[in-house]
Amino acid sequence: MSHPQEITDEYRFYLLRKRLAENLILGAFRGFRREGIEPILIKGWAADRNYPASRPRFFGDIDLAVSAADFDAARKLISSGSTIGGVDLHRELEHLDTLGWESLISNSQVVKLEGEDIRILCAEDHLRVMCVHWLTDGGERRERLWDIFYAVQNRPAEFDWSKCVDVVSETRRQWIITSIGIAHKYLDLDLSGIPFAEEARDLPVWLTRCLEREWARNLEIRPLHSQLKYPLGLLRQVRKRIPPNPIQATINCEGDFRKRTRVGYQIRDMFKRILPGIKRISNTIVEKPS
Amino acid sequence: MNNSQRPIARKSGLVVQEVPDEVLVYDLESNKAHCLNQSAAMIWKSCDGNNSVSEIAKLVESQAGGKVTEDFVWLAIDQLSENNLLEKPVASSFEGTSRREVIKKIGLASVVAVPVIASLVAPQSALAAASCTCVNPPSCSNTPNLGCPSTTRCNSSGLCAP
Repeated sequence: MSHPQEITDEYRFYLLRKRLAENLILGAFRGFRREGIEPILIKGWAADRNYPASRPRFFGDIDLAVSAADFDAARKLISSGSTIGGVDLHRELEHLDTLGWESLISNSQVVKLEGEDIRILCAEDHLRVMCVHWLTDGGERRERLWDIFYAVQNRPAEFDWSKCVDVVSETRRQWIITSIGIAHKYLDLDLSGIPFAEEARDLPVWLTRCLEREWARNLEIRPLHSQLKYPLGLLRQVRKRIPPNPIQATINCEGDFRKRTRVGYQIRDMFKRILPGIKRISNTIVEKPS
Repeated sequence: MNNSQRPIARKSGLVVQEVPDEVLVYDLESNKAHCLNQSAAMIWKSCDGNNSVSEIAKLVESQAGGKVTEDFVWLAIDQLSENNLLEKPVASSFEGTSRREVIKKIGLASVVAVPVIASLVAPQSALAAASCTCVNPPSCSNTPNLGCPSTTRCNSSGLCAP
């Protein structure tokens, strides 16, 4: 691994975190495989592989997806006090992608980490998943837009765009193209050689307004129940949710970015969230945290 | 000062990353990160429980290509012990003398860089990205091995940190 000429404390910290994540990844893959479970690593370390060595990308827990059939066993294994720790477990790719698990597995690739085979998504599937994940957060994590930037900029020579965008619905295809367009607009991602470059440049005005508002506000969304002890924080979080983030609402309702209005999605999204939100809050109150 | 002591470098509960000219160490128990310069790292690696302080001095001298005294080794061991990077703590060998004075004395006499162990402070961006987010103090204990600054406190920003 090559390092920047001047090593800063931030970079040192990044190296340690990366090492830490690699230890978690190795522990998880070894632990799961011993039980016959084959996971796929997404985001985090897999996204970091696209970054230049000198550009720190901070990550903590590791995102592993397992088949629906293995999910319960995998969850049990994690909670049994095994060596597997720091894992955010996904039941297949849930809402992040619509391609079947079998296809994702057969497209996936294996990379080496200290001699261990680490299964990751192929570049096309991974870019698609990262785009949807970024939008799921309402685009509020500007820093994570770099994941999309580097995944496109440093894509392998054999990268097949049709394998990336033409295997999902037209709605989702638009989501991916829009995310790439956002990386172009705000991070100056080079779109030359991309078959849908013109489409990507044509971003809906409401969407860019929403992003700029979110970034200017600089307030990350946190679960309401995590703020019960902090009235000001709670108030800020409630205000952040009213009205709901239009990007997030559109994604949560499998909606279309080109539709004229967001209101329908926002109302539906709010109703979808109210009940689970109340449940979490009442559970937290009942638990009476110290 | 007992130069027949044979210190042992701690191995468990640490994440170690080598970079040119230094070794980075993350202590999973205390959630603290340290940066050992080349001299400190050489001495730390020589602490295998077999080498005495005098032997470590000779070993480091042969690797560093300059005169290395036992005080020089003690200066590193002192810091390693203070930062809990040895299996068993070692009593400070510079009773009554400040470390600054010792560094001055050794530094003037040595062509090899004085051993230094510096603490690293986690950047806020790293903490947020590392999912050190929490709901309440107990939820911080559910994020082991993530290197959050605290496993017992959930601060007002919703991060496992003081």
